[in-house]
Order: sequence, then C-alpha cells, then structure tokens
Amino acid sequence: MSRLAEILPRRIDLRILFLALALTAIGIAMVVSTTAGTPRGDLAGKQILFAVLGLIAAGVLLAIDYRILLQYSPGLYGFTLLVLLLLPIFGKRIVGAKSWLKVGGGFQLQPSEFARISIALLLAWILENDDRALLRSRTIWALAAAIGVPVILVMLQPDLGVALTYLPFLLTALFFGGLPRRWWAILIVSGTLAVGGSWFLLKDYQKDRIRTFLDPNLAARGAGYQVRQARIAIGSGGIFGKGWKRGTQSRLGFLPVRHTDFIFAALAEEWGFAGVAIFLALYGFLIAQGLALARDARDRGGAMLVLLLILNIAAQALVNVAMNVGVMPTTGITLPFVSYGGSSLVATWCMVGLILSVAYRRYVNV
Amino acid sequence: MPASAREDRRPVLSRIDVIARGTWVLIGVLAGVYWVHQVLRGEAYERQAENNRLRRVPVTAPRGFILDRNGNVLAENEPSFTLLLYRRETKDLDASLRFVAELFNRSFDDLKRRVERDRSYYDFVPVVLQENLTISEVGAVQARSLEHPELVVQKTERRVYTQGAAAAHLLGHLGEATAEQVAARAKARPLDTNPPRPGEAIGQQGVESMYQELLAGVSGSRTYVIDSFGREVGESGHESPLPGNTLRLTIDLSLQKIAEDYFADKVGSVVALDPKTGEILALLSAPAYDPNFFTKRVSRSEWEDIVEDPDHPLNNRVLQNVYSPGSVWKPYMAYAILTHGIDPTERVFCQGGATFYGRFFRCHGRHGSVDLTTALQVSCDTYFYTMGKRLGIDAIAESAGLFGFGRPTGIDLAYEKSGIVPSPAWSLAARKHPWYIGETISVAIGQGPVLVTALQIARGMSGIANADGALPTPHLFHIGENVRTGERFVYRPESKESIPYPPGAHETIVEGLWRVVNMPGGTAYASRVPGLDLCGKTGSVQVVGQKEAKKGHLLPEKLRDHGWFASFAPKDDPKIVVVVFVEHGEHGATVAAPLAARLAEYWVAKSRGGKPELLAALAARPVGHARARAD
Repeated sequence: MSRLAEILPRRIDLRILFLALALTAIGIAMVVSTTAGTPRGDLAGKQILFAVLGLIAAGVLLAIDYRILLQYSPGLYGFTLLVLLLLPIFGKRIVGAKSWLKVGGGFQLQPSEFARISIALLLAWILENDDRALLRSRTIWALAAAIGVPVILVMLQPDLGVALTYLPFLLTALFFGGLPRRWWAILIVSGTLAVGGSWFLLKDYQKDRIRTFLDPNLAARGAGYQVRQARIAIGSGGIFGKGWKRGTQSRLGFLPVRHTDFIFAALAEEWGFAGVAIFLALYGFLIAQGLALARDARDRGGAMLVLLLILNIAAQALVNVAMNVGVMPTTGITLPFVSYGGSSLVATWCMVGLILSVAYRRYVNV
Repeated sequence: MPASAREDRRPVLSRIDVIARGTWVLIGVLAGVYWVHQVLRGEAYERQAENNRLRRVPVTAPRGFILDRNGNVLAENEPSFTLLLYRRETKDLDASLRFVAELFNRSFDDLKRRVERDRSYYDFVPVVLQENLTISEVGAVQARSLEHPELVVQKTERRVYTQGAAAAHLLGHLGEATAEQVAARAKARPLDTNPPRPGEAIGQQGVESMYQELLAGVSGSRTYVIDSFGREVGESGHESPLPGNTLRLTIDLSLQKIAEDYFADKVGSVVALDPKTGEILALLSAPAYDPNFFTKRVSRSEWEDIVEDPDHPLNNRVLQNVYSPGSVWKPYMAYAILTHGIDPTERVFCQGGATFYGRFFRCHGRHGSVDLTTALQVSCDTYFYTMGKRLGIDAIAESAGLFGFGRPTGIDLAYEKSGIVPSPAWSLAARKHPWYIGETISVAIGQGPVLVTALQIARGMSGIANADGALPTPHLFHIGENVRTGERFVYRPESKESIPYPPGAHETIVEGLWRVVNMPGGTAYASRVPGLDLCGKTGSVQVVGQKEAKKGHLLPEKLRDHGWFASFAPKDDPKIVVVVFVEHGEHGATVAAPLAARLAEYWVAKSRGGKPELLAALAARPVGHARARAD
C-alpha cells in the first residue's frame, strides 16, 4: 500500500486530473444555476451521476494499456460504424435527430459522442504505422476515410454539431503526422469549395444561423434572438457578474439552451469577466498540460492519441466559447466538462482516462 | 515497438510548441472579446438585460366622479371583470376560442377576428376577448384555468353613468384613445407627464373630454419581473396612481329630469342657465343615447344603428345644431330699435302684413295699431318688418353681435357652432353675391339667412334678463374637488361683455316679454304661472312654404314648423333663463313654453327656499301642452 501511495501521484498526472475535476465541478455548479427551480431541476443530480460514471470510465481506461486499445482500434472502429449505421433503425428521435439509443431508466445514449474515442484510437493507430517525416498519400486517404465515413453517418442523423467535432481529428492527424505542402494546398482549396458548396446543402435553420451570425440584430425575435440574448447575458455580467443563480438572462429564460450550448454565457453573466478569465485560464492549463504529456509519451501512437484527444477537447471548448459571444456561428457544439449531457461528459472523461493512461505509461521500464 | 526506434520525434515536438503557443494566443483573443463585451460595453448590456427583465404595467387611476350641483352622482365607477387572452401561453388558439365562444354564446369567427386584429402587437400584450363578465362567468373561466392558462380574468373599473341617457350630451362618454388623439395631445402638451396611452379609455365627448386631465388623475404603475415567456414571476415595485378629481357640475339633476321626461317623445333641446353667473342648470338634447353604451365595446351594427339614426342622437342640439331663430329674434330686434333713435311708442298699423320692395310680407295675424311692447306681446311681424326696413341690415347685425350671435358662447363643451349673423359683407364673402335688400325684411323677424344655436339664444336672453346687461359665459364646471386633500377649486369664466342699455330701453323690452306670458293676448299667456313673473318670447320656424303651413298639424310631422320659447324668470332679479326648442313642435307657445314655465317655476321655488315636498310635487306633476295660439 505504501509503495502504491508513493508511486501513484507521480505516475497519475494529477494536474490533468484536478483541472478536469475543477472544470467538471464548475459545470455542475452552472447546471444547478441554470436548471434549479425549473421543471428541469433534476438535471443537476443527473450531471453529478454522469460525472461519477465518467470518473469510473476514466479509471477503467487508465487501468488498460492504451497499446492494447490501439491494436484493437480497427475492430472498435468497425463496431462504432455499425452502431451509427443501425441508429436510424433503432434510434430514438429527440428534437428532430435520431442520435440516441435508449438504455433504460429514462436515460439515453448518444453513440456519436462515444464514436470520438474509437475514431481517435484508429487515427493514432494509423499514424503510428506511418512514422516518416511526411505522410504517404495512402495514409492521408486512410485518415480522410476514417473520419469522413462517421462524419457522413452523423450528419445524416442529422447532428451537424457532433459531426463538426470530428473535424479537429483530421486537422490534428494531418498536422502532426506531417502533410506535404501540395496536400495542404489541396486541403485548403477543397475545404473552401466544400464550405462554399455546403451552403446549398444546409437546411434553412442552419442558413439562418449563419446569417444571424453575420448580423445578430437581423431579427430581435426571430433567428437572431439566441445570439442577441446570449450577448446581453454575457455583457450584462460586467466584471464580477451578478452572482451564482442570480443571472436574470438565464434564470428568467431569455438565454436559450442555457444548460447546454449556451452554458458559458450563463457563467459569464453570473461570474462576470473575472469568472471568464479564470475559467479560460483553467482550460488553457488543461490544454497546455495535455500537450506537455504528448511530448513525454513513450511512443508515437501514445503521443498522437494524446494530441488527438486534447486538441479535440480544446477545439470544442474554444469554438463553444467563441460561439457564445457570437464570433462564430451557432453550431450546437457543447462545452466539454461543463455543458449538461451524459454522453458528452462520460465520453470526455473517457478521453481524460486515455490521456492519463498514456501519461501513466510514459516510462519505458513500467 | 520497432517503429519508434526509427522515429525522429523532433518535427512533432516543434509542432506541439506551435500549437501550445497558438492555443494561448486564441484564449487571449477570446478573453479580449469577452473583455470588450463585459467590461467596455457592460453597462449598455446591463440596461438591455433590465429591459428584458422588467415590465412596467401602467395602472390607470380611478377616474373622478361627476356630480350635479347638489352632489347627486352622474358618473361613477364600478368594478368590472375583463377576459384577456395571452397569446404567448396559447397552445391551441382554436380550442381556447371555442371555449370562450361557447361560454359567452358568441361567434367563434368574431373572436378569431379580434385576435387577428391584434396580431401586430407583441404577443405578450394580452387581447381583450370579453368585457363586463358576470360573477358566474368569472367562476366558469377560473374553474378551467388549469386547462386554459392563457385565459386570464382582470379586475378593472368601468365607468357608469347612473342617470342613463338623462345627461348624455353634457357628460359625453369614454372611449379608447386613438393613435391620432394621443399624437394630438402630445403635440398640444409636450410636457404632460401623464399622457393618455393608445387604447386607454379617455373622455370622448362632453365634460368627460373637456375635463379629461382633471378627471383622469395620474396613472401609477406596477413593475413586474417577467420571464422570457412574458409570465410575471414577481413584482419589483409599484407606484400608486393618484385618483382623479371629483367634478361637480352646475347642472341641477331635478331640472334635467323634468326636461328629459318632457322630451321622451320629442326631438329638440333645452338649456337653462343662471343669467348672472352663466352656470348651466340644465342642458338636454333629444333624442339622447345611453352613454353606458360606449363603455362596452360597441359592435359595428350597434354603432351603425346609432350613427344612421335619422334623428342623429349623437348630436348635441343645444350647441351643434343651428336653426332660424324665428320670433325669438324679436327681443334683440327690439334692442336695435331702441338704440337707433326709434321711439318705442311709435305705432305701426298691422293689417295682416305689408308690402316692402314690391313684395308682400305676411303677418300671422291682424294686430291693428301696435307699439314696440305690444308688437313683442303679440309677436307682430308687420311692426318688425317696418322697423327692420328703417334700421337696415347693418344696424340689426351690430345689435345681434352685441348679444353674442355669430360666434361661440365659450361654453366648456367642444364643437360649438357659431351660427350666422348675416350682413352685406357676410353675403359677399360667404355667398359670393351682394345682399338682397328684401332679405333685411326677413331677417327682421328671425327668418332668412340668420342662424343661431339654442345656447346663443339663452346667452342673449341673459343679456336681456340682467338689468345691467351683463352677458355671462355659459359653463358647466362648478367645483373641482381633490379627493385626497379635500381641497376645492372653483372656476368661473369671466365675461367682460355686457349690453349697454340707454335709459328706459331695458324696461321696455322686459315689459314686452312679461306681457307675452302674463297679459291676455300674449302669445304664451296659456303658460302663465301666478307669482312667477315669467318673461319670454315664443317663436316658430317655417319648415315649408306658407300654403302648406295653413294646413297646420295635418301635415306630416317632418314638415311641421319648429317651436321656440326663450324666457327668464322672475322679471325683477332673474334667477333662470330657459330656452326650449322643439323640432316640428309647430308652435313655441304650445309645446315649448309649458316646459320652460315649469323649469322656471321649479328653479325659482327652489332658490326661494321651497320645501322639498313642494319641489318634489312640482317635479312630479306632468307638463301638458298649452292651448294652441298663433305667434
């Protein structure tokens, strides 16, 4: 016991753990603040339960050697694709998207959130098998396909927000795998064309979101309402905020989807710029520590896995924070650790578990 | 791991450094954006958040009561219940409206149209579906409140005119302030701190409109905390309204009621006033309408019924309709005669008319030799034709102007007509042709282009009743009373106008008017009341030509003459001026004078301290028509 007590803190990266715990605690506090006293007052209790489940899942993943998971990643990935394929048949429709599986007890599972883990594992495995300075074309196509297929499946549900969270994987994999210059050029050109072309594929409400992003005052009561009210919530928080559970914008319901997509606006309203700055610093340290752990990983597969995971969390967080204040269009991307949502929280903690697992095995002699 | 042995990790490490720095830069930029919104623009957003959160609901002040001069209530308020529909909370509009339609036995489409009409307002502004709910209807709505949370019963106050139609035209009524009225008032009084709001009930006619500010009080407000659905979740403050002032009018309800009873089956007007002060004691226009009708929402067909009524019940005939004065014009002619060097004892011989400018002007009788007082007593047209010709139109117009004809009297009611005092200058300006000399002869007996209101006749009669010739400004405002402080304020419009009487002139005219009622042969002798000393002048106005007129009351009603009676009493120290006008009443003496006599009798008895039983008996005694007699 004494030996374990001695080595555990050294091997388990406490910084990542505590930063993630702090962010989760802030999340629970904000879920309480945005739902207490409303018909959804039970959500805070559920979020605590999800956090506990997430911690258990992280512990399990920490215990398993990530190298085994990397080896089995094609199988895991295949299973994930199968679930995503079958979802339109067995899925439960919630707010227009068949993204959910019933798991009993009134809980639903969102497979697309968990798909991120198997996608990350598969990408790390592919990158490990091509360790030259610059990626081979074959590898690039394999990476693109590994992400493209689930993106298309999730978009069909349709859940654009979650599908978009897969894209950072591709950029991370290509950037750290090493992409030849001409490929960057192709990527940029095709990316631009895809963005332009996708305008014609977007649904009306999605087009509205982009229009109102460009001009939030477009319609005070219409499409621009969410963006405008979120900005009022954030701005009215001032320097020190209105106090916990005292945000008028969120408590009186002016702030839309305040316990999920716009939970950061509620935080900004109640805790002010001071709270925003502290929160962003916590996130910054979490990302920095994740990157530091990637440097120390004992092998390319582990390093790539950590990078894929931490930058996926980072990208989601920064996009959500930017979206809340209206500098990016509303896309339905949640704030990891903080937004209410069981699948998202548990999946994020699974990612923390994997990062801790790589860090735990960073010394070759273990 | 054989792969890792060959791997060069340096490029990966340097890329990690790039990303690490890039992440902090991005976080810094985002923090900067939040800084701009929260710190630099924080106050502006805070105001917007407060506007979101707080809803200031105006609370209309209790409107001041309106009383008659003795304190009898003419207008008061009573609690009433209004059914509101909150559209934001409405899940199934058709289901809600079906429920309401069934409960109130109303047309579903009607309700639907009302909701559609208000669609342009914000959806948190409730739609008024039904007013004046009964207690059982309130119960029925509240019993289903779980099913229909969108239907809310609001307690409000409703204006009640306790006397019904009795004082309709002088009181006026309330109606929703239109956008134009709001704009007009804002323009007229830019600094008004309590302007009417669109849709708020404000006075639309009569004293309700004239004394809107005095009666309305000052609105208060309640500030509610609302959620994004517009539901009130708390109250954050309130400002109590200041109730409106009580308005005591110069009207005497008993006089008003005697007049109203008499006019139940007649068309016309009555105005009674105190000749010294101008206080209006009774003001009636018939047919009237029930002002309570306007307190509820009026349907289109109900509105059309009242607007298209051929008798125009909405018109205030006392001051909005102009008529030929006929023979009630003669006292003012008498003044012109007395002030233009004509000897009142000079006699004119009447043989049923006379020829002037080649045309025969008829008199209604053969009066023989008459002087001025006799001419007034018997209403001899020939005398006044003759004197009118001698005076000329300018002298007539000048005298009429002194008595206030041709311009508003200044009464505290809106839309008063000026009437016409014709003259050659008027003819050129208004008719674009010169004055016909023969018209002067017609004007001399109150016919021709001269037009007056009943109120102008009454004011002019005050100038005859008062020995000093004072011409008061008629008014309804008696006393205003602040209901909180008990402070009273009296407003009496000053009138500096008076009629200059040469020695003996006043007595001569009054003598003539006294004889009209109190001497055998006087045109209103049938209406004499012992001890009253009523002085007056009858008049009838031709609606049709002479030939048909001979058939008298055999004519269809619409073609019969209008009847006038203008009077005051008692002869010395007059207390009351009464003018009665009966459309198609045929003879002033038969239909107008009896009512005037009764009103004067009542008021003089009251001002002499008559016993209440006596006054009640006097008020209760029916007023009959007098025996027909030509005037």
